[in-house]
Amino acid sequence: MKRRKFLGGIGAVGTASALSAPALLSTLSRASAQGSDIPVGLLFSLTGSVAVVESTLHDAALMAIEEINAAGGVHGRQLRPIIEDPASDPATYADRSRRLMIRDKCVSVFGSYTSASRQAVLPVTEQRKNLYWYPTLYEGRECSRNVMYGGAVPNQQQDELIPWAIENFGPRFYMIGNNYVYPKEENNYCKTLLAKHGGEVVHEEYVPLGHSDFSSVINRIRAEEPDVIFGTVVGDSDVAFARQYHAAELDPAKMPTISLTRSEVEVKAIGGEAAAGHLSSAPYFMGTQTPENERFVESYKSRYGGDQVTHFVSEAAYFQVYQFKAALEKLDPANITPEAIRDAAVGLTMAAPQGEVLIDENLHTHLWPKIGQWQSNGQAEVVLQSQERVAPLPYAAYEGQRCTGQGLVQG
Amino acid sequence: MTVRLFYDLIALVIFALVIVFGVPALMGFDGFELNTFARYLALGIVSLALALSWGGAGLLNLGQAATFGMGSYAMAMHLKLKASGGTLPDFMGWNNVPELPLIWVPFHSLGVTLLAGLLVPAFVGGLIATFMFRARIAGVFVAIISLAFLVAFQLVVIEQQGITGGQNGLTGLAPLTLFGWSVDTYSVGFYYLVAGCLMLAITLGLYLTHSKFGLILRAIREDADRTRFFGYDVASYQTVIFCISAALAGWSGMLYTLVLQFASPTYMSVSFSLAIVIWCAVGGRDSVIAAAIGAILVNLLEGRLSDVFAEGWSLMLGVIFVLVVMFIPRGLHGLIGDLWHVLSNGSRKEGHPSNKSDMQSKPVETRQEN
Amino acid sequence: MDVILNQLFAGLSMASILLIIALGLAIIYGAMGVINLAHGEFVMLGAYAAWAMQTHAGFSIIVALPFVFVAVGAVGWIIERVIVQRLYHRPLDTILATWGIGIVLQQLVRLSVGAESRFVKGPEMLSGNTQIGGLFMSNYRIFLIAFSLAVLMATWALLTRTEFGMKLRAVIQNRQISECYGIEAKHVYSITFAYGAGLAGIAGALITPLFSTVPTMGTGLVVDAFLVVIVGGLGSLIGTAAASALIGEATALFSLLMNDTLGRIAVLAGIIVLIRFRPRGLFPSNTGR
Repeated sequence: MKRRKFLGGIGAVGTASALSAPALLSTLSRASAQGSDIPVGLLFSLTGSVAVVESTLHDAALMAIEEINAAGGVHGRQLRPIIEDPASDPATYADRSRRLMIRDKCVSVFGSYTSASRQAVLPVTEQRKNLYWYPTLYEGRECSRNVMYGGAVPNQQQDELIPWAIENFGPRFYMIGNNYVYPKEENNYCKTLLAKHGGEVVHEEYVPLGHSDFSSVINRIRAEEPDVIFGTVVGDSDVAFARQYHAAELDPAKMPTISLTRSEVEVKAIGGEAAAGHLSSAPYFMGTQTPENERFVESYKSRYGGDQVTHFVSEAAYFQVYQFKAALEKLDPANITPEAIRDAAVGLTMAAPQGEVLIDENLHTHLWPKIGQWQSNGQAEVVLQSQERVAPLPYAAYEGQRCTGQGLVQG
Repeated sequence: MTVRLFYDLIALVIFALVIVFGVPALMGFDGFELNTFARYLALGIVSLALALSWGGAGLLNLGQAATFGMGSYAMAMHLKLKASGGTLPDFMGWNNVPELPLIWVPFHSLGVTLLAGLLVPAFVGGLIATFMFRARIAGVFVAIISLAFLVAFQLVVIEQQGITGGQNGLTGLAPLTLFGWSVDTYSVGFYYLVAGCLMLAITLGLYLTHSKFGLILRAIREDADRTRFFGYDVASYQTVIFCISAALAGWSGMLYTLVLQFASPTYMSVSFSLAIVIWCAVGGRDSVIAAAIGAILVNLLEGRLSDVFAEGWSLMLGVIFVLVVMFIPRGLHGLIGDLWHVLSNGSRKEGHPSNKSDMQSKPVETRQEN
Repeated sequence: MDVILNQLFAGLSMASILLIIALGLAIIYGAMGVINLAHGEFVMLGAYAAWAMQTHAGFSIIVALPFVFVAVGAVGWIIERVIVQRLYHRPLDTILATWGIGIVLQQLVRLSVGAESRFVKGPEMLSGNTQIGGLFMSNYRIFLIAFSLAVLMATWALLTRTEFGMKLRAVIQNRQISECYGIEAKHVYSITFAYGAGLAGIAGALITPLFSTVPTMGTGLVVDAFLVVIVGGLGSLIGTAAASALIGEATALFSLLMNDTLGRIAVLAGIIVLIRFRPRGLFPSNTGR
């Protein structure tokens, strides 16, 4: 037999073992922290396709935890962040969330950008009665008693946006989104609003997630000449779409893209020139003028680099940690459980970078929707600011269903 | 009883003891830890399914994840119907589907679900196999066609949001009720259910490998034309093993849905399918037990590495894979076989013809690497 | 009518992008039978190289192209020498090894540069559109079409008109006899792999103004590139070009009739059927492989 090959094999196994030895030799179950610190889980992808956004959420949440610890922690105890990387894969999300909630005994877990990952985590969260803090805008239609929803639901993003858009640009909407539940739900809600305010849908289409070549879509847009392009494409698709729109020399003054998902992160990749003139609807923009935001942006930039941006999901990731802290402070230090935290969090107000936010009894958040127009410097100029905080109605599009403090209620 | 079968049976017994007694004892019979390990066991079944077709017959099925996904969706559909209690599943309402699609109706019954989870993948596998092997497609092209099929299948599943839940998959599933026993996925009982399935699958795999059927498959792997000249209908044999492999993958998928409590189109992604190939390669594609162990080891390693290196675990895994492929192409099974040789032959020179165990426990060297 | 013409142009543009990405893969596969699943990551490396040169040295994409070619080619050369060379007699193992290499490259880029999407500016002189009646053609896409054809011609010239090309063709036909004639097959293979990688790098640099530059951009591209190579036929440049044109136009037309997702499914189904009936592709070369 071939000795050299065999030795090579042994060498490879040796190297592999050396690389993985520390991991394999660690004990199978970690001791949970009793008494001295409070374990919290951070479940944001650092690798894979959604890492582009989720790593910023990780950064913002971690920064909040560090700030809280530096100010003395909660009840004199430090927060211990346990970081997992679910690699943009729902099955890995499910696995790591179990680790955090069951083995590591976290009293809360902050995580997820996509709804798919949140739904993968939901079974174990509800079974173990843990608390999942979800900072991202989503399609609504969920009413879990174990999830704190920090992002906007369709009614918060669209109720003021659609009439304003019809008034300022016209009634003909071209809907382009990625092919999954979020764009479809947003479009469903949009259609109900359009019907109410006299708009019409010129075309509705969906492209696969990650799809990059929009020549066909641009051709159709050119042919149809809508007044508004209602965009729910996300991530790489949004970047590609915006750049190709610009390359096609279409005019955002006449036919703007109004996006629910485009944030400072995408705009940075699109480039100021191509992004300028288009609009986004969100509760927060990096240029928001509040003292809390100035502090937030300054700390973020000094911690992570002057060229970094904050956006409406990382802002939510940040303020959710503070909401968690505020809820903890209301509790008896000897009795910290996820459900107690949840009950303490209901009705909590907090000065977030976007303004003062309130946690509803249905565990969603009252927010301040805004419409921003992107400038060539990568920042958004707010063109419409809602006068009052908008309540979250996750089942707004569905007659006869409401999300309340007792869960989903029919009728 | 050949020497090889004897060694395989010993390995099976040892493996069974470790899985049934050793691991639970090591984890203190803790439901959560066992649930994590149960996931590895379920993945072991799909890895051994690939070993049957790849190591056993030389057919690299890069689309194994598609059949895996079919099984997992079958189980998920049944559990979703159970959770919806007679009304339309929630995601269908949101997609404006007026009534339960015909394809969902049979899944109310557990019996149909179990059969479908095995037979539908087998049937689809059979279709693809007939399509390929009647035309004597072999080698690299099998890999490519199966890969193209996988990509197309995943796209179809994602596209048909009203039927399959689209990108989000099927979530919000009820727990399984098996003959009156409500299966709690964090219980020791569930772990033994999965372990039992794995043992059964391995036994089936061993039976196939050591039967005449397995022998003919190996002959086909070495030289399909020569086997044809002997009068064997090569395409039929390839189709049958492809179907069996697909059925096993479907079985694995059903268990996986039970472990994770949801089904997602990511189970049918190219990365996942290649991950299955990697587990099989690391363990050793020539042996079903080794392939299962490979899956368990790699996933265990991944879990541990990501614990310790939150940032760099992916990179380390990539490096390890490359090293394994380069230096231990026959996987750990091959390495152990070589080790056995070194120990038993001592310093015998290469090419010495006499050793009997040489002939029986190592695969014949004349064949072209596939 | 306008819509159809615009769609035809869109298809041509898609085809040119497919061609320039798949060309490197076709050469590597045609010459050495290596299934290089890291090809997408070579494209990604080219994109990041272009970004790095633009950000740190202020080069526009066009100026950066030769540097990108050399840089990614060098990476390819190293990978070939260290890893791929040992796997020539194990074609299916190259799938796994190159997949692993792809993961490693992706993670290295992510760890060093970060996961965020990078902005690369397109060349000024190529911005804008040319309009002929109702037909709108993006200037940059016209440039891409022309460039991909130029690269195709250059590769053809390299293979048929240079001494290196002759050596490569000899080695493809019969490695042992070529070595008897004094051709260093190993050397030829290394350079070929490097050339294929360099082409992928150029492709990456060229597509950055249109698409998003992230570490994961390669994974989606490699399957498509692969299918183009298989459909076109082994070792055939014309085949690769024809397959790119076919697949690009088919995707565009299907997406006109249905939607993009169904279009892609239809194209994949078509490819499966095609490989079944013509497994050696549209234009198989006659060298005995």
